[in-house]
Amino acid sequence: MGGPVGSRASTTSGRWSPSLVLPLLPYFTFVGLFLLVPTVVLFTKAFRPVTGSTTSAMVEAMNASNRSSFMFSLKISFFSAILGAIVGFLFALAVSRIERPRRLRNIVTGFSGVAANLGGIPLAFAFIASLGAQGLFTRVLYHNGIDLYGAGFKIYDFWGIVVVYLYFQIPLMLLVMLPAIDGLRPTWREAAINIGASSSQYWRRVGLPILTPSLLGGTLLLFANAFSAYATAYALSSGGSRLVPVQIRFYLQGNTITGKGNLGYALAAWMVVILLFVMTGYLLLRRRAERWRAA
Amino acid sequence: MNRRRTTWEWPVIIVVGAFFIIPMLAMTRFAMQRVPMSLLGRETIFSRWTIRGLMNTISDDKFQPAFFMSVRLGIVTVLLVLALLLPTVLWLHLRAMRWKILAEIVSLLAYVVPPIALVVGVSGAYRDTVPWIVSSNYGLVPLYAILCFPFAYRTLDVGFAALDLHTLVNASRSLGASWQQTFRKVLIPNLRTAILTTSFLAFAVVIGEFAISSLLLKRTLPTYMLEAQGREPQGAMGVALLLLVLTTVLFMALGRIQKKSPTSSSQEIRITP
Repeated sequence: MGGPVGSRASTTSGRWSPSLVLPLLPYFTFVGLFLLVPTVVLFTKAFRPVTGSTTSAMVEAMNASNRSSFMFSLKISFFSAILGAIVGFLFALAVSRIERPRRLRNIVTGFSGVAANLGGIPLAFAFIASLGAQGLFTRVLYHNGIDLYGAGFKIYDFWGIVVVYLYFQIPLMLLVMLPAIDGLRPTWREAAINIGASSSQYWRRVGLPILTPSLLGGTLLLFANAFSAYATAYALSSGGSRLVPVQIRFYLQGNTITGKGNLGYALAAWMVVILLFVMTGYLLLRRRAERWRAA
Repeated sequence: MNRRRTTWEWPVIIVVGAFFIIPMLAMTRFAMQRVPMSLLGRETIFSRWTIRGLMNTISDDKFQPAFFMSVRLGIVTVLLVLALLLPTVLWLHLRAMRWKILAEIVSLLAYVVPPIALVVGVSGAYRDTVPWIVSSNYGLVPLYAILCFPFAYRTLDVGFAALDLHTLVNASRSLGASWQQTFRKVLIPNLRTAILTTSFLAFAVVIGEFAISSLLLKRTLPTYMLEAQGREPQGAMGVALLLLVLTTVLFMALGRIQKKSPTSSSQEIRITP
């Protein structure tokens, strides 16, 4: 291998030489300008006090009413992540074990690609049409004696949003888990059976432990996914949701009047802090999960 | 081997499948049938299906500018993402391997800064100094590019890793090709799948993006849909359905391309809605 152009030797020498770093400048500069600088500005403004107050907006952002908004967002993210992870995993397991219509797997993965990327306004519309007060499914249930709205269900409220989010959470989990399940080699199972393990013992001692990093990582990804989601909940609630992103919009749009603009920055900054932890966990777990996949 | 307990799979698939299909059916009905929900029953289920609502909205003065704005933003974003990432990832693989980890971490930052925080930060940083970013429609493009970096970087990275890059480049260069020729005639054809995957995903992200364009008060397809919902709910629903069909077609085409050359994609990685 190697030769005059880009031989191994040249990759190890001179890591700071300008000719080596220069071609990378556009990319790093771009990210710097449009992601790092805005984030730094975000935090700077977040640590300033709100007009007429002396405490930093970061502190104020955790007062009672904003904290309840955070709890609402976190709870929605938590429940939609856990439910999405469980159903998505079972779904992936079911699909991976079905052999007969061989196209099933392709259809499911193809559809999941669409559904996991679906979100925003069309998704909200689809659920308003099916589970809204006048939705198709709501009416079908009603005629069969189940009165969802009579029982307090609302599409723009807690469980409504969780159900809607599951529409992209389940497929996302499937896309994370299918490769992991495929990575369970049949020889491991055979080896376990050969030394006298039962099927459930194999799952408990071999299968699940190997899948655990993928499962946990997938759940964290789903959590982050739901936590930063905005459009769907905004459309479902016609802009009136208690979710943190919708609150941020509220503070920033009224900032000239209320002088609470910095509070919007602080809420956004807190979101970044939370996501930083969640995504770091996800990436560490993903790295661990990939250990079993190579060759 | 033992095939005794294979009964639970189908119920799971059917229930989950129903959960995915019902909203689509309900949406289609709402978009295309002019029968109030309270009158819908066995006798009326096939009556008064029409695409007039959709047609009304499509011929609406405000629809086409919004639609084409989203399409243009999508195309420009795809071009920008490729222009920034292709040379960078090429260089990382060719000469600057030790910078790869940093480049990858940087590409993933968009997962940590959600769209809502990104737009708030950008408008806070540049509203007074470079107002163009906040005021112009095309000011959305850099932000959309940032949103696309996590999956775009990974897709291209995997694509480059699958090539025997040094041999390809050495062969091309020693045969007298310039860097440009090498790029155009050797690398791009070999990276076709990765480039197309990146482009499709980026386009799909942009055409459905709402948080940023709505906060900056831009008229794109998603903001139009939400606004039209009040005036012409059926038409808005029809447009949403259209967008959905468009996305599905894009992804089906993508699946077909990927099947031809299975150098793993990064479908699991996505942008939050």
